[in-house]
Amino acid sequence: MSLKSYIITRIILALPMILILLVMIFFILRIIPGDPVLAILGGKAPLEVIEAKRHELGLDKPIVVQFFDYLKDVAKGDLGISTLTNRPVWSEIKDRFPATLELTIFSFIFALIIGIFWGAEAAWRKDKTLDISARVYSIFIYAVPVFWLGLMLQLLFGIYLRWLPVGGRLSPRVSLDIKTGLLLLDSILNWNWEAFWDVLKHLLLPGITLGLVISSIFLRMVRNNTVLMLSKDFVKAAKARGLKPKVILYGHAVRNAFVPIFTIMGMQFALLLAGAVLTETTFSWPGIGSYLVLKIKYRDFPAIQGTIIFFAIFVVIISIIIDIVNALVDPRVRY
Amino acid sequence: MKKFMIIIGLLLVVFSFASKDVIVVGTTDKIRTLDPANCYDYFSSNILQNILSGPVDYEIGTANIKPWLFESWDVSDDGLVYTFHIRKDAYFEDGTQIDANVFKYSFDRVMKLNGDPAFLLTDAVEKTEVVDKFTFRVTLKNKYSAFVSVLGYTVAFPVNPKVFPKDKFYEGAPSASGPYKITEWIRDVRLVLEENPKYFGPKPKTPKIIIQFYENAQQLRLALETGEVDIAYRHLDPRDILDLKNVPGIKVYLGPSPQIRYLVVNVKQKPFDNPLVRQAIALAVDRETIVNDIFVGLAKPLYSMVPAGMWSHEDVFPKRDLKAAVEILKVAGYTKDNPLVIDLWYTPSHYGTTEADVAQVLKESLEQTGVIKVNIKYAEWSTYVEYFLNGTMGLFLLGWYPDYLDPDDYLWPFLSINGAKSLGSFYENKNVEDLMTAARAATDQFSREMIYKLVQNIHAAEAPYIPLWQGSADCEAHDYIDGIVLEPTQIFRYYILERK
Repeated sequence: MSLKSYIITRIILALPMILILLVMIFFILRIIPGDPVLAILGGKAPLEVIEAKRHELGLDKPIVVQFFDYLKDVAKGDLGISTLTNRPVWSEIKDRFPATLELTIFSFIFALIIGIFWGAEAAWRKDKTLDISARVYSIFIYAVPVFWLGLMLQLLFGIYLRWLPVGGRLSPRVSLDIKTGLLLLDSILNWNWEAFWDVLKHLLLPGITLGLVISSIFLRMVRNNTVLMLSKDFVKAAKARGLKPKVILYGHAVRNAFVPIFTIMGMQFALLLAGAVLTETTFSWPGIGSYLVLKIKYRDFPAIQGTIIFFAIFVVIISIIIDIVNALVDPRVRY
Repeated sequence: MKKFMIIIGLLLVVFSFASKDVIVVGTTDKIRTLDPANCYDYFSSNILQNILSGPVDYEIGTANIKPWLFESWDVSDDGLVYTFHIRKDAYFEDGTQIDANVFKYSFDRVMKLNGDPAFLLTDAVEKTEVVDKFTFRVTLKNKYSAFVSVLGYTVAFPVNPKVFPKDKFYEGAPSASGPYKITEWIRDVRLVLEENPKYFGPKPKTPKIIIQFYENAQQLRLALETGEVDIAYRHLDPRDILDLKNVPGIKVYLGPSPQIRYLVVNVKQKPFDNPLVRQAIALAVDRETIVNDIFVGLAKPLYSMVPAGMWSHEDVFPKRDLKAAVEILKVAGYTKDNPLVIDLWYTPSHYGTTEADVAQVLKESLEQTGVIKVNIKYAEWSTYVEYFLNGTMGLFLLGWYPDYLDPDDYLWPFLSINGAKSLGSFYENKNVEDLMTAARAATDQFSREMIYKLVQNIHAAEAPYIPLWQGSADCEAHDYIDGIVLEPTQIFRYYILERK
C-alpha cells in the first residue's frame, strides 16, 4: 500500500469512529436525567417560559429528529449554540482551547525531559540505585490520582510557602495583549517580560502536576526500550570503537529506542488534552476541561457534544499524524 | 548600583501611584450574558448595574426607589397607563442619546426575544409608545402596583440600538451608559471596567476595576490573603469568613440579604397533603442550629416568606416546639409505634457546600420528635428541578432570590396557582389568589401591607412552604479599601469603591 492510500484509509477509518462517538454522546445525554432548560431557568420562570425555551432549543422535537438536525449541523461545521450562554459552541471552544494547549505542551515538555533523561540514565545503570528509584517513582506516580497530586503541590508551594499562585493563568494586575491565546507566546510577542514571568509562575504548578503523571509512562518506555537497545550489537560495536558513554547512550541507544516511544508519546499528548480535565478543575485553569465540567453541570447539550467531538477529532488527527510519521520512518508499518 | 536603586525606587513610586487607580475584585461567580434581554442571574445583573443606567435606581444603602433615566412619571387614574419623562443628558458611550425611541426599542426587543427574564415585562406590559422624543408610555395589562420596582431590574435597562440587534441576543460587551465601560473581557477569566466619560452621573471614585474570576472559594480566599485581589465578593465559605475576621489587615463586611431559604412541601403528595403533617414539620425544624452551627451566625432564622426588614413582614410561623409537634402528629395519627416516614431532598452543589449539612440538621431536628423518620435523598440541580416540577419530591430544600424588591415577589410566585406549580408545592387557594390580585391592584402601600399580612397568616396555617433562614450578604476586603456598601437591594456598586 502506498503512503497516500495508507493516509486516505486512516482518515476513512476515523470517520465512523467519530460518528459512533457522536451517536453515543447524543443519546446518553438525553437518556440520563437532567434538562438543560430547567438547569438554566430553575423554578423561577413560569411554565410557559420553560416550554417556550424548550421549543426554541428544539428540545420538544422527537429525539431522532433532533439527532438528524444535529448531524446536519455538525456536517456543516456548526457545533450549535450553547444553551447556557447563547454563544456559538465553536467560538467558546476557540476561546478555551489555547489554555489547554498551552498547559498540555508545557506538561508534555516537562514529562519528556524527566522521561528521556532519567529513563536513559536508569537504563545505563540498570539495577543500580538510579534505576530502582526510577522504577519506584514511575509506579508511585502512575498510581497517584492527578487531583491529589495537584492539591498537595498547591498546599506546599501555594499555601505554605506562597511561592506560586494556585490558580488562573495571569495575575489580575498584569495586562497582556492576547494574540494567539498561548500566553507565554503572547508575552514574548508583546515583549512583555513581566507578563511572561507571571504566566510562567501560573503555569508551573498545573504543568508540573500533569507532567509528573505523564512522565512515569515515558520514563518506563524510555528505560525499557533503551535497555533493549543497549544489548544490541550496534551498541557493542560503538563501545568497541571507544565512543564516549553519552554518545553511545543518547546518540545510538536512545535514538534507536525512539520509534515505539514516539507512537506512545503522540497518543499521550492527545490523551493529555482530555486528561487535563482534572488538573484544570483543581487549578481553576480556564481551559477546555474545566469548560466541559461547567457545561455538564448545566446539561448544556450542544456544548458537551461539541467539546467531546472536538476532542475526538483532535485525538484522531494526532493519531493519524503519528501513523504517517511512523510510516515515513519505518516502511514496515505500511500494510 | 546607585542608578539601579534609583530606577527601582522610581518604578515603585510609579507603581504605587498607578495602583491607586485600580481595584481588583475577586469572585467565584460567572457571567452568563451581558444582554439585559436574556440576563437572569445575579452576577451578570450586577455587572450590568454598573455599566448601564436604569429607568429607576435605588438610593445608596436603602431599598428606596429614586428616579434615574426616568426623571418622573404619571400614572393614569385606572392605574394602567404609565407615562415616563426621560432625562435629556443621558448617552451611551458611542454618543447615542437615550430617548423614548431607545426605550421603546429596548422594551419591545425584550418582549420579542422572550429571553429568560422577559416574563417580568411580558406578564405586565400590554403596549409601549413613544409620545415624544423624551416621553415614553407603557400600558399595562392589569393593575400592577409593583411595576416601578420591576423597572429597577436590568431587564428594563435600555440598550444601544446601534449595538444590540433587534432579533437576536447580543453576546458581546454592551455599549455603556453607566459609570463604567468594559475595556477587556476574557470570559470566566477577567473583566476590566474603566470610567465611562459619557456617563451623566457622578464620576467613579476608582477609574479602573478589574474583576477576576476564580473557580472555588479556597482559591478566592488565598487570592485575598496574598493581596492578588483587594476585595473578595461572592462566595467564601461561612467558616472562611469567620476565620478572616481574625486576619489582620482584612475586614469582613456583613449586610442584609433578601435571599431566603425554605422547605417546599408538595401538598398533593401523601402524607404532606395533610396540613397537620406540614404544621408538625414547621414546628419541629431547628432553624437556630442551622444558622448557628452551619452558617456560624451569618444567617438569621426566618419565620415568614417575606424576609425580615421588608415592609409587611410578620413572624407568622411558630418558634420550635417539639411537644406541640408531637401532639399535632398524634392527631394526624402518627405515634412512636406508627411513625411518620418521609423523604427529605436536597441538591448538593447549587446552593453551596453546606447543603448536605443543612439536610442532616433538618433530619435530626425532625427525628427528635421521636415520631418522624427521615430519609435523606439528593439529586443534581437539573434533575432536581425536573423532579420538583413533576411532583416527584414531597419535601425538599429550595431558595429564592428576588427579581424586584417587593413583598409581591415573595408571595405571588409561591402562592399563585401557576407559581406554586413551578415551585413544586402545587398549592391552590382561591382566597389567597384573590387577596394577592387585590394587593397588586391596590395603589397605596398601607392597603397592600394589610393584605400581605393576611396572606402570610393564611400561609403559616397551611404551610405549603416552611421558611427556614434568611441569608446575609458578605464581602471581604483589605482594610485600605473604602466604599463597600452591602445594600438591601444587593446592588454592589463598584463606582463608590476607593483606596484610602
